[in-house]
Parts: sequence; C-alpha cells; structure tokens
Amino acid sequence: MSELFVVGMSYRTSPVEVRERLAVDAKALGDELEMLREVADLREAVLLTTCNRVEVYAGDPATREAALDAVTRWLGERAGEPVDTYVYQHVGLDAVRHAYRVASSLDSMVVGEPQILGQIKEAYGAAKQAGAVGALLDQAFTRAFSVAKRVRRDTEIAAGSVSISSIAGDLATKIFGDLRGRRVLLIGAGEMGEAAAKHLRKEGATLYIVNRSREKAETLAKEHGGHSRGLEEMAAELAQADVAIASTSSPRFVITPELMRGVIKARRHRPLFLIDIAVPRDVDPRVGEMDNVFVYDVDDLEQVAQANLGARRRAADEAEEIVQHEVRAFERWRQASDLKPVIVGLRQKVRGVLAAELERTLPRLPEMDGRQRKSLDKMVDAMTNKLLHHAVSELKEHAGTPEGQVMVENASRLFDLASGSTEERADAERVAEELEPAPGR
Amino acid sequence: MVMALFAATAALYAIASGLYVHFLAKGSEGGASWASRVLFGAVACHLGFIATNWLVAGNEPTADIHQALAVLSLTVVLIFLLTARRRQRLQVLGAFITPVTLLLFLGAAFRRGVGPVPEEVRSALVPVHVGTNVLGLAAFAFAFAAGAAYVIQERQLRQKRLGGVFQRLPALDVLDTIGLRSVLVGFPLLTVGVVTGTMWAVQLTSSPLGLSASQGFGLLAWLLFAAVLLLRVAAGWRGRKAAIGAMLGFLMTMVVLAGYLARDALGGAG
Repeated sequence: MSELFVVGMSYRTSPVEVRERLAVDAKALGDELEMLREVADLREAVLLTTCNRVEVYAGDPATREAALDAVTRWLGERAGEPVDTYVYQHVGLDAVRHAYRVASSLDSMVVGEPQILGQIKEAYGAAKQAGAVGALLDQAFTRAFSVAKRVRRDTEIAAGSVSISSIAGDLATKIFGDLRGRRVLLIGAGEMGEAAAKHLRKEGATLYIVNRSREKAETLAKEHGGHSRGLEEMAAELAQADVAIASTSSPRFVITPELMRGVIKARRHRPLFLIDIAVPRDVDPRVGEMDNVFVYDVDDLEQVAQANLGARRRAADEAEEIVQHEVRAFERWRQASDLKPVIVGLRQKVRGVLAAELERTLPRLPEMDGRQRKSLDKMVDAMTNKLLHHAVSELKEHAGTPEGQVMVENASRLFDLASGSTEERADAERVAEELEPAPGR
Repeated sequence: MVMALFAATAALYAIASGLYVHFLAKGSEGGASWASRVLFGAVACHLGFIATNWLVAGNEPTADIHQALAVLSLTVVLIFLLTARRRQRLQVLGAFITPVTLLLFLGAAFRRGVGPVPEEVRSALVPVHVGTNVLGLAAFAFAFAAGAAYVIQERQLRQKRLGGVFQRLPALDVLDTIGLRSVLVGFPLLTVGVVTGTMWAVQLTSSPLGLSASQGFGLLAWLLFAAVLLLRVAAGWRGRKAAIGAMLGFLMTMVVLAGYLARDALGGAG
C-alpha cells in the first residue's frame, strides 16, 4: 500500500547556509524534480524550497525505506555535505499532518504569516506541470490548501500584525483611514525607520526625508521614491506631515514640546502620528500629552507585537484541532480509496462469471426477443449486487483496521482476484480509474 | 394596537442596542448582522406605529412634539441603515445610534391626554418648524454618535489599548469627518427651525421677549453648534474638542426636548 512521506529540513532543524545551497530557482524546478524522481524511483514528488524550509513530499515509492534514504542522499549531494542530522522524515498520516501544518503556517517562524501558502501552491503547480503529481499528492495538497484556508478563516491566526513596521502602518490607518495622499516624514535614517517608511509608502503615502546629512537624505529619497529636505526644514515639514517617523541617532530629544507648540499651531490641529523608533528616544514624552498628537515609541510597538503574537499562539491551538480533524478526513478518504480495487475486482469477478454462463445458455433459447434479453442482463446486475452486498458493507465497515486488512486479503484469495486473465485485470484497472484514479501501483 | 406597536418597537430598539453594544465590545461572529436584522424589525414596527397612530388614532405626524419625536427617531435610524449599508465598517456605530434612537422614540410616549396643538396656535410655520428641526436633530444625533465614538477611539489610542474595540471602531479621521459633515448639514436646518420657532412664538405672544426656558435652551444649543462650526471651519478645530462640542450641543437639544415633554406632561400648552 502506497503512502505519502516527507523528507525535509526547516529553520528549526538546520542552519541557513545549508538551506541556501538547496534553494531551487522556479524555472529549474521541473528538471530538479525529474532528477529526484529518477534517483529515488518515485512516481510522485513535490519539491518545496523557501528561505525557511526545504522539503520533498513524495508518494508511491517502490520501497519506502530505500526512497527515504535516496531522497536524503540527494539532498546531501546538492548541499555538498551530509544532511542526515538536519532532516526530519514523516510517513503516512504524519506526513499529511505535516503538510497541513506547513500550509496553515503553524510551522512557520512567524505563526500565521501568509506567504507559505502561496509558496506551497507554486511548488505544487510546478510539480503538476512536470507530471510529478499523482492521485495521492493531489489529494494531500488540494486538501492542505483548503485546510489552510479554513484555518485562516476560522481562527485568529493571522489577526494582528507582528512586525514593528506593519504595526506602525496599521496604527496610521486606524488614525487616518486611508493613507493615500498622506504625507509621511522620515527623520533620520535608522534601519527600522526606513522599513516603517517603506511600509507606509506602499500604502500610498508620499514620503519626505530629513536628515542631518543632506546627501544621505537624497540617497534615501532616491531609493524609496521620496523627497529630501534639509534638517533646518524639519519644523516646516512636521507642520505638513500626517505621520512622522523619528529614527535619528541623536542622544537628546529632537522633537520637544517647545518645537511642537509652534508646529501644532501651524498644523491647525490636524492630528499627527509620531512614531519614535530611535533608541535613545527622539521624542520628548511630554509631546505625547499634547492634543491631536499621538506618540508611539519602540516599546509601545513591541508590546503590540508581543500581544498579537500571543493571540496568534492561542489561535494556533484551535488551528491544530482543525488540522487533526482534517487528517482524520484524509484517513477516511485513503481507506475508501484503498478498498476500491478490491470492490471493483469482486464485482468484475462475479459479474464476469454470471455473464459468461448467461452467454453459454442463450443459444439454447432462440425464441428470446430483445426485451427479454435486456431483462436477463438486468437480472445479472441485480444478482451481482445482492451477492456482494453484505461482503462490500463488511469491507467498508472494517476499512483501516487490521481486521479489515485481513478481510481484503482473504477476499482477494477466495475470489482469486490477483490472477485472472490479463484482459480481465486490464479491464478492472480501467474501471477503477474511471471511478477515481487509484493510488495503487 | 397603537400601544402594542409602540411597546414592540421600543423593545426591538432596546434589543438592537444591546446587540450593537455587545458587537462593539466583543466583536462576536455575525453579531452585527443580527443587530441589523433586529433593527430592521424595529423599523417595521416603528412604521406600523406611526401609520396606525395617524390613520386609526388620528394623530398627524406633525401634530405635536410626541409625533415629531416618533418621526425624528425613525429618520435617525433610517439614515443610519442607509449609511451602514453603503459602508459596512460604519455598522458598529449602531452601538451609539441605536440607544439615541430608543431614547428619542421613548419620548414619543409621555402623552398625558393633551390634544394636538390647539387650533388658535396653529400656523403655516408649524410643518416647516417641525420638519427642519427633525432633520437638523437627526444630523446632530449623528454628530453625537460620531463624537462619542471619536472620544472613545482617541482615548484608546492615547492609552495604547489597541484591542478589539479599537479595531472595530472606524478610523479617527473618518469619525471626525462624519462629525464635521453632520454639523455642517444639521446647523442650517436647526437655524431654520429656531427662526421659525421664534417667529411662531412672536406671532402667538406678540412679544419677542416672552421666551420660555426651553426656547432659551434651544437658543443656547444653537449657539453651541454655531461655536463648534465656527471653530471647526474658521479656526480649523479638529478631533476631541470638536467631538465633545458636538456631543454637548446634542445633549443641549435633548434638554430642550425634555423641557417640552415635561411641559406637555404638566398640561401646559403654547
């Protein structure tokens, strides 16, 4: 019986230098898959590489142990060093659960991050295009996508930003509604300040940059598509800005209540959102008490990030339950599809015998007309169903249990399902495929 | 029949208020849609109440202050439903609008057998006076709701409590804009209301100095709104102070209405 398995390494188990070397360009993915399937003798395989993980999902190997080894060796060869200590392996339902957890972003460094689902979809698409996806991986992945969707919809796993720059963006949106056409002023050139400014600019704000060094301001303005201003224009710019991000390396407060009093007058009470990302702080805390001025410093933003992360972790528990539930659903599908060849075989066998006997008898009944003949055909169908009814429902009821496994084997033996003419078997396979592409080899 | 419809309407407004407040506080799944369903039910009963009160009991919608309040509360809730339909994110303002609607509607009840405005004090000015006041007050009810939401939202932002309530309420700037527009629309209407009311009073008493206490409050409310508007437009006032000003103005108009109701209840007229 074929089973899904996964061999991979993630940020939890391996250093980034190793994963880097295993990264595969989207264009080369098809060729790589081809090679992998060859060396490991796999019918089905999906190769997923992101900056946080490298994973091979596969199904249907000739022998599982050999395939697991071959995939691990293949990864090692490409990494230029043995990877045995880095890889994890999951087989069967554990592999399904792993796929579901990865797709739902439960295994991500930032739980709930949205990119992973797109990356998996890409990997799956590439494998499909390369003809490396069979019934098993197809089921596992399309189900993983819907599990991920359900987790995002039914839990708070993706609620609330967890990075400083996106939290700053969220807050700005909660103050101004829409950031299109708003003015963002970046004071100083700290890295985090730049990230926050970039984020706001993406939301449609226009960016102004003041810096002690005019040159630096100009470089930044060019890089991010903003306008540069000299430091002496800071007060005038503050009077026009909607959001100001302070991230200078000044040891003293750059934005003082004295400065802001003039600014507020010039602003005619329009609200100003001041984000103080500098350490030590750039904004005098007293400024935060002024009307229509809202000041958030790094600690405030960090606290929001922690609170949101906590909420995501709590949501993750709910998400695990959904995953568990869906894994059981997959199990039921597997069991049903495992039974299919036996049931189809049984029907073929019984119906074949009955039909053959009928054919033999018919020449002795020349007075039979077409309608009567049809009735007899119907009778053969009915007899097949009646004869097998109990057997089939017993098989279904015990599917997935050891007892059920014995029943399947006994049925095959008692009805001689394995042998039979090649013609018969080809016929049975065709019927089985019509019903649903069976994962059996 | 009329009383039953009145009770049903009030009860449904109360339930809708509870649901909206619960939705704002807890953000329960589908909470807003239940609240708006109940509110639709309330509006249906409300229409039924006005219709039966008019056709069966013979009380015209502009006959007296009670009928006017029934129309006013209906206007407020209809404007809200239309707005929330266009902009789903404003749905949560129902937590402020619906209780105001309920209060206004309850005002329609305190009738102590006082007949409609007597024939001799009727005037062509009455429909204009009532109509403009109804629309103007409806606009101020919105200024009040937006102002209340603004004050809460601003407080949360300043105290850095960015939980569910903060997430569910609209952006500060959106609330500020609603407040500004409501006052801009409401002020001219209320002005016409005050002027026609004063003219009517002068006609009745032939003395411009015989202003009653409630008329005085009405003038005070009007002045307050005038101040808010002036500060907003001329001095660029925004945010919390403007919101509080609009809220105070609305409360003042409520005092005026309460005055009328008390006078009616005491059996006075004119």
